[in-house]
Amino acid sequence: MRWPERVMGGPLAVATGAVLLTAMLGAVLLWAGGYDPLAAARAAALGAFGTRDALLSITLVRSVPLILTGLAIAVAFRAGVWNVGAEGQLYAGAVAAVWVGLEGGSLPALLLVPAVLGAAGVAGALWALAPALMKLRLGVGEVITTLLMNFVAIYLAAYMVHGPLQEPRGVFPQTGPIAEGARLPVLVPGTRLHVGVVLALVAAAGLSWLFRRTRIGFQMRAVGASSDAARIAGRIDTRKVVLIAFLGSGALAGLAGGVQVAGVTYALYEGLSPGWGYTAIAVALLAALNPIGVLATAVLFGALEAGAAAMQRDAGVPAVWAVAAQSLVILAVLALDRVRHRAGSEASGV
Amino acid sequence: MTRVLARLSGVVRRFGSVEALAGADLEVLEGEVHAVLGENGAGKTTLLGILGGILRPNEGTVEIDGTPVTLSSPGDAWARGVGLVHQHFMLVPALSVLENLALGRRSTPGRLSRTHAHVRSDASRLMERTGLDVPLDVRVESLSVGQKQRVEILRALLRDPRILVLDEPTAALAPAEVASLFALLRDLAAEGRAVVLVAHKIDEVLAVADRVTVLRRGRTTLTELRASVDATSLVRAIVGGEAADRVSVWSPGQATAPRRARGQEVAALVDARARDASGRVGVDGVSLAVGRGEILGIAGVDGNGQRELALLLAGRLTPDTGSARIPDGVGFIPQDRTLEGLIGEFDLTENVALALHADARFGGRSLLRWRDIRTEADRVRVRFGIVAPGIDTRGGALSGGNQQRLVVGRELLVATDLLVAENPTRGLDVSATAFVHGELRQVTDAVTGPGVVLISSDLDEVLALSDRVLVLSRGRVHEIAEGVRTREGVGALMLGGADAVA
Amino acid sequence: MSEADLVLFLEASVRLGVPLALAAMGEAITERSGVINIGLEGSLIAGALGGALAALAFGSAEAGVLGGAAAGVLAALVFAAFAVGLGTDQIITGTAVTLGGLGFTGAVYQARFGATGTALTLPTLAPLPIPGLADIPWLGSALFAQAPTAYLAYLLAPALWYFLFRTEWGLELRAVGENPDAAQAAGVRVRRVRVLATLFGGALAGIAGAHLALAHAGTFAENMSAGRGFIAIAVVALGRWNPPLVLLAALLFGAASALQFLLQAVGVDLPYQLFLAFPYLLTLAALAGWLGRTRAPAALALPWPRRG
Repeated sequence: MRWPERVMGGPLAVATGAVLLTAMLGAVLLWAGGYDPLAAARAAALGAFGTRDALLSITLVRSVPLILTGLAIAVAFRAGVWNVGAEGQLYAGAVAAVWVGLEGGSLPALLLVPAVLGAAGVAGALWALAPALMKLRLGVGEVITTLLMNFVAIYLAAYMVHGPLQEPRGVFPQTGPIAEGARLPVLVPGTRLHVGVVLALVAAAGLSWLFRRTRIGFQMRAVGASSDAARIAGRIDTRKVVLIAFLGSGALAGLAGGVQVAGVTYALYEGLSPGWGYTAIAVALLAALNPIGVLATAVLFGALEAGAAAMQRDAGVPAVWAVAAQSLVILAVLALDRVRHRAGSEASGV
Repeated sequence: MTRVLARLSGVVRRFGSVEALAGADLEVLEGEVHAVLGENGAGKTTLLGILGGILRPNEGTVEIDGTPVTLSSPGDAWARGVGLVHQHFMLVPALSVLENLALGRRSTPGRLSRTHAHVRSDASRLMERTGLDVPLDVRVESLSVGQKQRVEILRALLRDPRILVLDEPTAALAPAEVASLFALLRDLAAEGRAVVLVAHKIDEVLAVADRVTVLRRGRTTLTELRASVDATSLVRAIVGGEAADRVSVWSPGQATAPRRARGQEVAALVDARARDASGRVGVDGVSLAVGRGEILGIAGVDGNGQRELALLLAGRLTPDTGSARIPDGVGFIPQDRTLEGLIGEFDLTENVALALHADARFGGRSLLRWRDIRTEADRVRVRFGIVAPGIDTRGGALSGGNQQRLVVGRELLVATDLLVAENPTRGLDVSATAFVHGELRQVTDAVTGPGVVLISSDLDEVLALSDRVLVLSRGRVHEIAEGVRTREGVGALMLGGADAVA
Repeated sequence: MSEADLVLFLEASVRLGVPLALAAMGEAITERSGVINIGLEGSLIAGALGGALAALAFGSAEAGVLGGAAAGVLAALVFAAFAVGLGTDQIITGTAVTLGGLGFTGAVYQARFGATGTALTLPTLAPLPIPGLADIPWLGSALFAQAPTAYLAYLLAPALWYFLFRTEWGLELRAVGENPDAAQAAGVRVRRVRVLATLFGGALAGIAGAHLALAHAGTFAENMSAGRGFIAIAVVALGRWNPPLVLLAALLFGAASALQFLLQAVGVDLPYQLFLAFPYLLTLAALAGWLGRTRAPAALALPWPRRG
């Protein structure tokens, strides 16, 4: 059972290669577009890591939802569940978190914060339950259904901020601020880094342990690798495992929404997520679905977002290049991974 | 009469570092039925794949009608008159029979025109001429195995091939269906076509072929007229001279007698019924009991409920009605080892863990004791002679025979009470087959050993290994009395059910 | 609500439905071949920018439509090269192409027109009323006083149906989407079929994007595709992978969007977000089989050849 080594051996090389490839390709494209790649890289690096505030308040704060949604994708994909619905589950979690945070003002923080985050996780899991049941009961593929549920969640959030949960004056399409006691404490005084980052770390470590050491983790990997073999040779109740993966994935994505609301925005508004649920697919993929790897790739993507703003401000390179870079890094991973697989299967004669 | 339609010379085909063909030759003459024999892994399917345009050779030449050709797709092969009928059905289940027959026909009027009408008339005419009868307007998914095979052959014949290539067409057929298929192949050859046939069973080859080619380790070791070979010389060519003496060949009709009274009952079905994946009745009221230390053979043609019976006995399926009493210590060797028996991405340890993860000794409810599982995996590797660098080797990197050793070894770990083996030697070569047979016999040597249920469509295998024989036909079982425990007697039951022998 | 309001509502339904219909009918063909192009959004936004640039360069909206198609094909080509050529996972590849489409169109747009986005005015794809038909009361102007791209959608629906269900190419395409191994054994070139089906879907998505820029907005804006590529995938499912039904489904989605304008026009304060969510819930219901038997192509989203 050399699973961690096997994942880190090849995939780590693939991830590193993909990042380098993207950097080179990005530099060439920037140069072709009339920008100075070196200046852009310097500005981005400084913007992401250059100061204590850049690192803690911007990069790491942006990494938190990416870690949690990245883990959500990792749980699902490892078990062979193609959950494209992390975005919707995140919104469901955010709506639930805001609702509890607004209504529960009388509770002490010691109870209210867990209640907010718990509600977010449960809401995300429930949002994943519908596609899960459609897959298990009716045999409907989850790619399309989870995608559909994203739209429903986003419109539900929009309805909430225009309707029942709109701020008291009824002017802006957002909710009022959640109770003080519902907010996540700041971790490092003087920065915006909140304790949600600890939660994300614990979640990653826990998931890593789950996959390596526990029976359910093994069952999830078996179902993801071959549902038939898991059922026939492993006598695994694949439907139960798939359901657990759906719910766990949804809960983590919902938690991402809750943590964002309780730790950063303190309110819900349309466009709360810039598409983290989709970016998470790239984050998880680059990490080869390894929870510890997700930590690294999520920080990388967080830095990319943080650096993009600085790049635009200081080097005149539009921030939208960061989105293009995300695309390139996924394609590079896919290409390198195929190359590696082909080399591997050539060698083993399969 | 002796015009050469196709000639493959010095063909080499490599998959990575493995040489599947190492200089094979095949000559196909007009008007002949040509059988290709060889152990599993000898390169038969690869050779046919090259003739059928699915694979391209690394070296060597393919000539059709005397001109060297490059066949880069099945379409190329069809265009040159080579029609391939696959071992596994290559039909589209969601489309109708007619649509499957029309698929890829490349009619002349143009690809945008409506063409099903002439396919329908062509197909009707062909069905009348060959006696291959199938309804044209039903979806293929609702057909029986035999009907699907007819569709495959019809589709090949509709394109009027001069060379018809069939890869193990008899694997899923009952003896009478085999006989009528062979009659059809003889007719086709008589029309001047060439029929190339891959077969496993030597007696079938001797019954139908005009000429025989034997492959061994990727090379052609023999090409002879039927008249100048017999079973012994073919076996010698297939397994190599030195190995021939070690291999026992089942001769038709050979059957073992019960070794002794069976031991304590370990598993039983009482009037069990179960549906298959598509909701049709698979097992239709089966009652049987398995005792310790016996091999209960269940013969029958695939598709008569074998799958569901295997799953029921292995505790992988619960009956819709009736009852199943299955012990905890049950092992299962599923028919499709690459898809159901193991996980290619998992290493040996993880594949062994598939059977052990629920066992309290290796972790129990929540955590897994990987160290103990590794120890167990290494024991399996050594004890069953799995050729692999170590227990960190991926299951997918093993050869077919070693994969089956892994599956058999692992299931024997857990089969303290019952072992269910479903076509356990299908697709295995002679030595791997002998290994599996040996293990099944050895584990039942003692009356305290587990009971073994051997479900196989290979009648000779069932007759040779089993202490008791049942026939599964249309979802029901029929006990075989000592007197009719012959190839002919069981074969009749397999086809006709109870009425045939009454 | 007045008759004029209703006519406006119907017009808006069709106008908003047309780009969805074009993209979704293309995607229906792609998905029938077993490929789900989640990167359709990338083709759509590329088509919008390509349409804008071509219209500007040639001073004609019709050239813009062709430019949009070309740009849509380009994005789909990236998807096809990876997902079909290399056999990479379709969901992940599609995510990359969507991100790439949004990122690179933004980058090109800013490089060409500056970060502030100087108001870009494009030749527009004007409504082209069809004499006679456009005068039919109520539905006439809604259906037959639209941009020429709308008529393309009307024509494509039956044409693609005929193609899929009545021609050999259509049969081969469906076979590839149901069982690519069997199709290959029958002599069909699976990858070629899948690549062509994907490029066709990209072309129609590109035209849909050009329609957004040239017939709706008269300009290009970053992210102007606004998720329509994903919506189109929902439309395909509601339309059961059958082009005429897909057209109707797209008009339904268009109507749900148009409803918010109607409600505002008549001054009713209803939660229109819930109406916007309605077609998605309806699609879920359709997939659940509550509106009759629906089944996606069996090989949808599976890489081919299968990995061992």
